[in-house]
Amino acid sequence: MTGDEALVLRDVRRCFGRTVALDGASCTVRRGTIHALLGENGAGKTTLMRIAFGLLQPDAGELRLDGVPTTLRSSRDAIARGVGMVHQHFMLVPAMTVAENVALGAHGRYDRDATAARIVAIGRDSGLVLDPAARVADLPVGAQQRLEIIKALAQDARVLLLDEPTAVLSPAESVALLRWLRRYAESGGTVVLITHKLRDACAFADDVTVLRRGRTVLAGRFNDLTEVSVVAALVGDIESPRETPGVGAPGGAGDTAPVLQLDGVDYLDARGVMRLRAATLSVCAGEVLGVIGVEGAGQRELLRILAGRLAPTRGRATRPARVGFIPEDRVHDALIPALSLTENFALAQAGSAHGSLPWTRLRRATEEVVRAFDVRTDSTETPARELSGGNQQKFIVGRERVFGGMALVAENPTRGLDHRATRRVLDEIARSQESRAQAIVLYSSDLDEVLSVATRVVACFNGTVREVPASADPTDRSPYTRALMGAC
Amino acid sequence: MMELLLVPFMEAAVRTATPLAFAALGELVAERSGVINLGLEGAIIAGCLGALVAAGLGGPLLGFVGGLAAGAGITAVFAYFVISLRTDQILAGTAVTMLGLGLTGAIYRGLYGSGGAGLVLSTIAPIAIPGLSAIPLVGPALFRQTVPTYALYLMVPLIAWWLRNTHAGLALRATGEHHEAAEAAGIAPRRVRWGALLFAGALGGLCGATLVLAQVGTFSEGMSAGRGFIAIAIVVLGRWSAFGTALAALGFGAAFALQYLFQALGWSLPYQLFIALPYVLTLALLALLRGRATAPAGLGS
Repeated sequence: MTGDEALVLRDVRRCFGRTVALDGASCTVRRGTIHALLGENGAGKTTLMRIAFGLLQPDAGELRLDGVPTTLRSSRDAIARGVGMVHQHFMLVPAMTVAENVALGAHGRYDRDATAARIVAIGRDSGLVLDPAARVADLPVGAQQRLEIIKALAQDARVLLLDEPTAVLSPAESVALLRWLRRYAESGGTVVLITHKLRDACAFADDVTVLRRGRTVLAGRFNDLTEVSVVAALVGDIESPRETPGVGAPGGAGDTAPVLQLDGVDYLDARGVMRLRAATLSVCAGEVLGVIGVEGAGQRELLRILAGRLAPTRGRATRPARVGFIPEDRVHDALIPALSLTENFALAQAGSAHGSLPWTRLRRATEEVVRAFDVRTDSTETPARELSGGNQQKFIVGRERVFGGMALVAENPTRGLDHRATRRVLDEIARSQESRAQAIVLYSSDLDEVLSVATRVVACFNGTVREVPASADPTDRSPYTRALMGAC
Repeated sequence: MMELLLVPFMEAAVRTATPLAFAALGELVAERSGVINLGLEGAIIAGCLGALVAAGLGGPLLGFVGGLAAGAGITAVFAYFVISLRTDQILAGTAVTMLGLGLTGAIYRGLYGSGGAGLVLSTIAPIAIPGLSAIPLVGPALFRQTVPTYALYLMVPLIAWWLRNTHAGLALRATGEHHEAAEAAGIAPRRVRWGALLFAGALGGLCGATLVLAQVGTFSEGMSAGRGFIAIAIVVLGRWSAFGTALAALGFGAAFALQYLFQALGWSLPYQLFIALPYVLTLALLALLRGRATAPAGLGS
């Protein structure tokens, strides 16, 4: 029944130079449903959705909207036909207000009051409330994402394409967003959800399409599929989960000297807000200190002080000369997109090394990282920007492991990574714990991830840092969730 | 006595500021779209010659049209290189400035011979606005000027309003801040920048036309005298706002006009000092304001 199909992509092919990004990718999205688009890093999910939004043109294949074969020359065409997209990296102008961002792309006179009224009306109808006069740069990430959806709704989008929308959200925010999408679909809207989180997809989506290496390998309704079959389609072959030591495992503090140490550290940000107060902690080699906290609780500053990227306002931070650091926003903070992998590799020690660059040795070391961390790339001379997000992250993790020396600080290192890559990163962290080679600090917005590798856990709440005592029952999560809310 | 000195000084300040403000407003629009138009100096000198030739053929009105067209024309070369061929903005801008300076000199010599002023026009006369020009001190300075100055008075609030209150203005600013976001919103950043640059070129041409038709009455090689680069500094000092830019332009006009005031006072300082003053002022103010400006985030990319 074609009248039921809001968006159909059939046998889409798209190449970038010699790289085939999509070949035989198909996806049929029924109106009024949430459709999960799953696949590993670099499987072509984002490329396929960029085609559906008119930002890319397919080399071959068919696109149908509401059953009508359509050619989209630009995003303007897609918007005119009721398609809206929420990009993984937000497409907002930080220097502008909420209202100005919503009004972007229209014609004629820009009426501030009318736009503000529209935003208020959308807020009333959808529950997505934002202050139209607020500057986007001042909004937290969750609110920026709301704005992206409001933008699409203001353009009367009937099909919403969301690329990894929960990657940047706290668990509570993620659930709220997914519930909202559910209601939106029930009221007749159509949603395509690109996600890595299989659990979210199972819980909230009606249908699923799985891409692997640019090709659709599974499509159907969740009701007709088992979780195992979806995972099998995702990863091709299934590895058994690794046994990780987990919290409370032996071999923690005490028998080695602390590598990282904070003593009564306060941090005031540029606006004079106290982000961290009286933080005291120490991490020894062989320990994995798990950090948990909701957005803005102080973990961002805590990690940067430990990594030597920020200086404490008061108090003392002791750390080795070089600390490996995996920042959350890899594109901005960890890589120079235009430089090759080898050059990016060399950059990690650019501040301390002198003289000419030993290219042969660097290239060999880069090749080693590419192989050991399964970075998918043509060569080590490929510019970093040509790698998919997940492969960029794997490269950064590998590089920081090599250069980190005695200490490694990781901030959401599995953000945007697929199952296999996530496991790989966590395994690497667990392995260095076993070999007692490094002191590791790991923050993740996924509590399970932290608990699976950390030997101790501290919780950030409102700028304070407190150790969470290990519970007698390892399956009991309540001490951690309580600590996240600020209770002891 | 004071009034006798101040009135001509202020009049000269506004007169000198007018062409600078035109060029700077054009540059403002270009920069808000994300392009630094270093070819502005070339557009100004092209506007000078275009205005002279056209006015020689058909009077001052055609002269202004010629100036606008010449400025927009040479800036179209810059736009083609920067937007369509994606060459470096600094390189392309410098090349277009050199092209403008060289080409106008060659054309002028070809048309009117190489000896001295080949074509001298009478400059357009100031028009006193009845009533307003009678206000003491500021009256004559602001309201006994030529038509281009009055056009400027309209243009400044109009550009400010357009940037803030039209979707086209919003699209322009979004392109300058974050062109991917603009594109995702259905805006065509290249088209926006083409429009912005043609406008900037036309205003650069208007700057040149005003110099020739309202102030000098003839053409000389290199008569733009760095105004394009001063205009770029004016945009920075004006914090990328239309009113700020106009105000900064007035400040530079005053710096130029100081030489008349000092001459009238009979101070016998070397005239080179006064000529250098606006340029020294540019450097000094840029040093003072460093790091405090709020440039469009995508400028130059």
